[in-house]
Amino acid sequence: MSEIKVVANILHTNEEITSQNKRLLNEKGIYVINLMSSPGSGKTSLLEKIITKLKDKIRIAVIEGDLYTTKDAERIEAQGVPVVQINTGGACHLDGKMIKGALDSLNLDNVDLLVIENVGNLVCPAAFELGEDIKITVLSTTEGNDKPLKYPRMFENSGAIILNKMDLLELTNFDKAEFYKDINSLNALATIFETSCVRDQDQGIDVLCTWLRQQIQFMKHES
Amino acid sequence: MNLMHEVSIIQSVIDIVTKQALENNLTKINNLSLRIGELSGVMPESLEFAFDSCIKGTMLEESTLNIEIVSALGECKDCNLEFPIEHFNKLCPSCNKFCTNIIRGYELNINTIEGD
Ligand SMILES: Nc1nc2c(ncn2[C@@H]2O[C@H](COP(=O)(O)OP(=O)(O)O)[C@@H](O)[C@H]2O)c(=O)[nH]1
Ligand SMILES: [Mg+2]
Ligand SMILES: [Zn+2]
Ligand SMILES: [Zn+2]
Repeated sequence: MSEIKVVANILHTNEEITSQNKRLLNEKGIYVINLMSSPGSGKTSLLEKIITKLKDKIRIAVIEGDLYTTKDAERIEAQGVPVVQINTGGACHLDGKMIKGALDSLNLDNVDLLVIENVGNLVCPAAFELGEDIKITVLSTTEGNDKPLKYPRMFENSGAIILNKMDLLELTNFDKAEFYKDINSLNALATIFETSCVRDQDQGIDVLCTWLRQQIQFMKHES
Repeated sequence: MNLMHEVSIIQSVIDIVTKQALENNLTKINNLSLRIGELSGVMPESLEFAFDSCIKGTMLEESTLNIEIVSALGECKDCNLEFPIEHFNKLCPSCNKFCTNIIRGYELNINTIEGD
């Protein structure tokens, strides 16, 4: 019998595929968002709002990996932007291989912004790089302000954090001061947005969209 | 409990180990040791369960799994003290600052394989 010292990162294969995906996406000049949250925080609702605001200004495509609501892809499709649904088959996170499959069925020459809606889960998506330019985590006021400290990795690694369902703030015991304090201690550089996706009375979407367009511009200038 | 996560991890492990074994002219794995960080989000018991159900029909079918848990360690950016951290308590014991510099605990590594 022989013993072999392997010392390999178990996620190595994912990282390899992901760097190939990233190279391709960079070449095409596409800004990529990995959008994460628990189920029901409002990822798809935010996406609908963003698409409505931006679809005449930039070319958007969506990879839909959220299995919680099977209607999500249809909701995005109704907006008239290309969307690929990943059949996660009950998986708890997206990985590089799934993204590669999805990229194969998109026409990447016609995309400025690609949003990947990850599986609704605050834990494991944080460990899987998908080749994104930024991770954005959504937390809704109804989930409680203790989540960032409870699931620190996702909040630590996010370039932006969206506090959604602001319209319901008064109805919850969500402590906004605590939330800001915790985010600041976990990830002082994160940009924080406060939004609400209520029909016809949305809040904070314009600010978010302006910022998004800036990020896309910065990236185009750098490359 | 949702085992999907651990199943996907074990499937990657089996892929890597099989490749390594072939490169080293092994046909059968007897022992496999992993190093799993406390903060990796992976449950050791679930990992064992997933292992037992995924190894059937592979080179690892008769192997035993050893999991070494790597405890979480932070390093204070202010005083450079290294100290054990918990999910809910990351304060530096010396200067009481919140620690964001985690130097150990996220590992998901294969350490060694033994085989014939
Ligand atoms: N009151 C309120 N409800 C919201 C808001 N955003 C989303 N919702 C609702 O929350 C539920 C889940 O939203 P969805 O976008 O599907 O969440 P996802 O699972 O993160 O994609 C839906 O019923 C939405 O209508 C919001 O800002 N305020
Ligand atoms: Mg959704
Ligand atoms: Zn997972
Ligand atoms: Zn210190």
